[in-house]
Amino acid sequence: MGFLDKLRGAPKEEATAAAPGPGGEREITIEPITRIEGHLGVHAKLDTGAKKVTDAYAYSPMFRGFEIILVGREPSEAPMITQRACGVCPVPHGLASVNAVDQAYGVSPPPMGVLLRDFVHGAEQLYDAQLGVLNLEGPDYSEVAVKKFNPDWWGEAEKTKASRSDVHGFATIADIMTALNPLAGELYLRSLLVQKAGHNMAAIFGAKHPHVHTFVPGGLAKINLSASDIESYLTLLMRHVAFTKELVTATDDLLNFVLAQGYADVGAREINLCSVGSYNDPEAYSENYEDMTDWGRKRLVSPGVILNGELVTTDLVEFNAGVREFIGRGWYSSEWEQEVKTDPAGNEIAYEHPWNKRTIPEPGEYGKWGSKYTWVTSPRWNNWKGDGKNNVLELGPLARMWATAKAGLVPASTGSSLKFELPAAVIPGFKYAAKMEFEWKIPAKPNAVERVRARAYYHAYSAYCITGLVMQALEFMKAGKTKVWTPYEKPKEGIGFGAVEAMRGSCLHWCVMKDGVIHNYQYHAPTTWNASGRDPEEKPGPYEQALIQSPITEAGDPAAWKGVDIVRTIRSFDPCMGCAVAVHIGDRIVKRELLPYATPE
Amino acid sequence: MGLEEINLIWLEGQDCAGCTISIKQASNPTLIDVVTGAIPGLGGLKIAYHPTLMFEWGEDAAKVLIDAMEGKYDPFLLILEGAVPDEAKAGEGVFCGIADYEEKLLTLSEAIDSLSKRCAAAVAIGTCASYGGIPHGNPNPTGAKGLLDYLGKDWTGGLGLPVICIPGCPPRPDNIVQVLGQAVLAARGLAPLPELDEWHRPVALYGYTMHELCPICGFYAEGTDAHGFGDAGCLGAIGCKGIITNCNNTTWADGYGGCTGTGAPCFGCTHPDFPDAPTSPFFAKAPAMPFIIENMKGMLAHAEMGFERFKPVLESLLPQIPEFIEELDKQMEEEKDKGRKI
Repeated sequence: MGFLDKLRGAPKEEATAAAPGPGGEREITIEPITRIEGHLGVHAKLDTGAKKVTDAYAYSPMFRGFEIILVGREPSEAPMITQRACGVCPVPHGLASVNAVDQAYGVSPPPMGVLLRDFVHGAEQLYDAQLGVLNLEGPDYSEVAVKKFNPDWWGEAEKTKASRSDVHGFATIADIMTALNPLAGELYLRSLLVQKAGHNMAAIFGAKHPHVHTFVPGGLAKINLSASDIESYLTLLMRHVAFTKELVTATDDLLNFVLAQGYADVGAREINLCSVGSYNDPEAYSENYEDMTDWGRKRLVSPGVILNGELVTTDLVEFNAGVREFIGRGWYSSEWEQEVKTDPAGNEIAYEHPWNKRTIPEPGEYGKWGSKYTWVTSPRWNNWKGDGKNNVLELGPLARMWATAKAGLVPASTGSSLKFELPAAVIPGFKYAAKMEFEWKIPAKPNAVERVRARAYYHAYSAYCITGLVMQALEFMKAGKTKVWTPYEKPKEGIGFGAVEAMRGSCLHWCVMKDGVIHNYQYHAPTTWNASGRDPEEKPGPYEQALIQSPITEAGDPAAWKGVDIVRTIRSFDPCMGCAVAVHIGDRIVKRELLPYATPE
Repeated sequence: MGLEEINLIWLEGQDCAGCTISIKQASNPTLIDVVTGAIPGLGGLKIAYHPTLMFEWGEDAAKVLIDAMEGKYDPFLLILEGAVPDEAKAGEGVFCGIADYEEKLLTLSEAIDSLSKRCAAAVAIGTCASYGGIPHGNPNPTGAKGLLDYLGKDWTGGLGLPVICIPGCPPRPDNIVQVLGQAVLAARGLAPLPELDEWHRPVALYGYTMHELCPICGFYAEGTDAHGFGDAGCLGAIGCKGIITNCNNTTWADGYGGCTGTGAPCFGCTHPDFPDAPTSPFFAKAPAMPFIIENMKGMLAHAEMGFERFKPVLESLLPQIPEFIEELDKQMEEEKDKGRKI
């Protein structure tokens, strides 16, 4: 029976019965949530009188079974296969996976190999940050969206002068909103073209992007490495350095305006955050599990678990031992055998730890909000050295900027902010050439606006970190340290954990090898924690928490609400989103003249 | 069928959006060139549905699919990114839902079943959509298959074309826009129909193996083999599957990258059997037989070429042979006389 027949056969009154007048309750199901990577839906209950969300369920209706497909394969295939989990952020999967396999094989790359892997990773972060801010989340605050959903903001936006127009060139907030119009806006289109420089940078050392093909245990498969490769990379990097000055200032101006419209509570949740860090010290990285504590802290983006605003740990070994993956409301079985009792450092490993957890699908009926409703599991972090409780942690740029600013492990960290400078870059087509100082300050609480702001600042901070790494690579070239791969003898058994930050959250991989092949492989995509559903203690996942009690600003008849505040909240987490090259809006035809930067580079 | 305006209905199945991220990097033409109608003959294309691109969400987005099923978006190209799971294997549940409409979940297969009846043509982008790809990998937990298998080799759309496959994980950016572009030009009578091979790939782009087009194949010819990653040499010994993989990834986009040229052994991501044997294990040597055949053919061809090269030299020498013999006789006589004294 086709879907249309199914529709025709159904009594319609049941479906629309839940739409009362003001002061009532309304249920809304948003599926598909577009402008994200993959398949995600939200089912929410709204109080139309108090104008807020009262309950929410986030779910994914798609399953592929990667972890099942990986069993029995060579562990060296995992970095290639797991990248295919996400075409938007494949490299963190590749990197976390190859780190886990480095540990399982007992091999670490030469310093140049570590550095080049990070070059590929950094290149992806640069493209991905702008994609999120300007092409996926930006359109929610564009002229098109604001006029439609928050018409009262528009007059105000036209009157409000932009404070950093000296950098980004837009006179008013309304001008910035217009620049974010899908397919037509200046920022929207220029972002797409600068992003190509990020993909190109990744291709220099990754062969292609998405899904880079050079990540191998023990290093990187790159031949004929020369200073010219690094120069090509640096040339493209400087376009990002130039663009980030406009990106950050325009985002700041726009979001300060949105906050002033009473948006501080939309998508707000408590300060329970987590980062695993990024950008290694090439000479500190090693395959030894216990060394992870030290080299984790030497990363330019710091690891850190923050509970109720307090930094609890920056130790990756302690973090790993505390990970629990509950099946929660996921369509899986929670029965498996506990095979790993301790980690290589002797810490206790729980039954729910991904070194033990198995993927056993048990598909169930759609829309049963009281029982199982999603293909996402419920990962939580157990504060095992503290109170022993399981915590719902939010991941993403806000969490990692927060942890890095608080931890004080890197020069840019002040304890309450991240302060750094980007060099001058005189490049035609970009508006601000001079060097520029940036300061990202820890906000009062995580909310929809601050997640987007942190993503813009992470673009700038990544550009700053990578510029430093490029200089280090040239030093290595001078010193003749050009080896990119360490030969190894593959053992029969091994265990490994790899963790690195993807744009939208931490990417975590666990590998157990027996008889030279994968015995168990588990990974948490950057979105797994954020998109998780209720856990066994009935605690909602981060998306759900951010939605519950979130105010609704959408104008018009509640029965006709499209849930713009809900999708703004969800998109502020940047759920493994795909790209947004082109959008069809009614009959609008965009003229060639609107595309000054659209020529191939 | 009026073809001034053509809608694109782009569905995402068991996918990763990587093909979408790839098309965004295209240069010749760029996606923006195509959508804005900057290329003569390619105007009037509208992206009516694309989950990662469109402005609309929720019910408004789902409505586009329902309207398309009812013919309100004719004529349209059906584009699939990602594999199609076997929903029968999910029992009560669902392996790939794509939209909620009036409290019911529309599955990918339901959407394809309906839309494939009225689409002008169907294009499978990427190895997953073409042949199943990663979700189809052993043991294929969800019964995933590609569109070619799902609709069948004999299926044809409104324009009379079978399913067109653009394999690759993801395919090269320019390959995607160029195939889509040619399909539209052909539909409007402005270009020839793309010639497809037995796997429904456009021959113009997939007619040769990566080995044939390899930028570093000279290493193979001279016998310089890499035995570790980073060694300059043919990557065959460390797993390159270029010899069995039809692909043209000599550089990725804008002249940067390219698998073998960078130093990454091809592991067959455009191959219909990817990610299983013969492409897996990725870093094990490719089957020997193609190399044996290629070497034998190479030896014979080089012998013939060598013979051809030396033939004129030999031929020009032939008439002079009697003279040479005479000269040699003379010299022999002189030798005989040497040392005699009268």
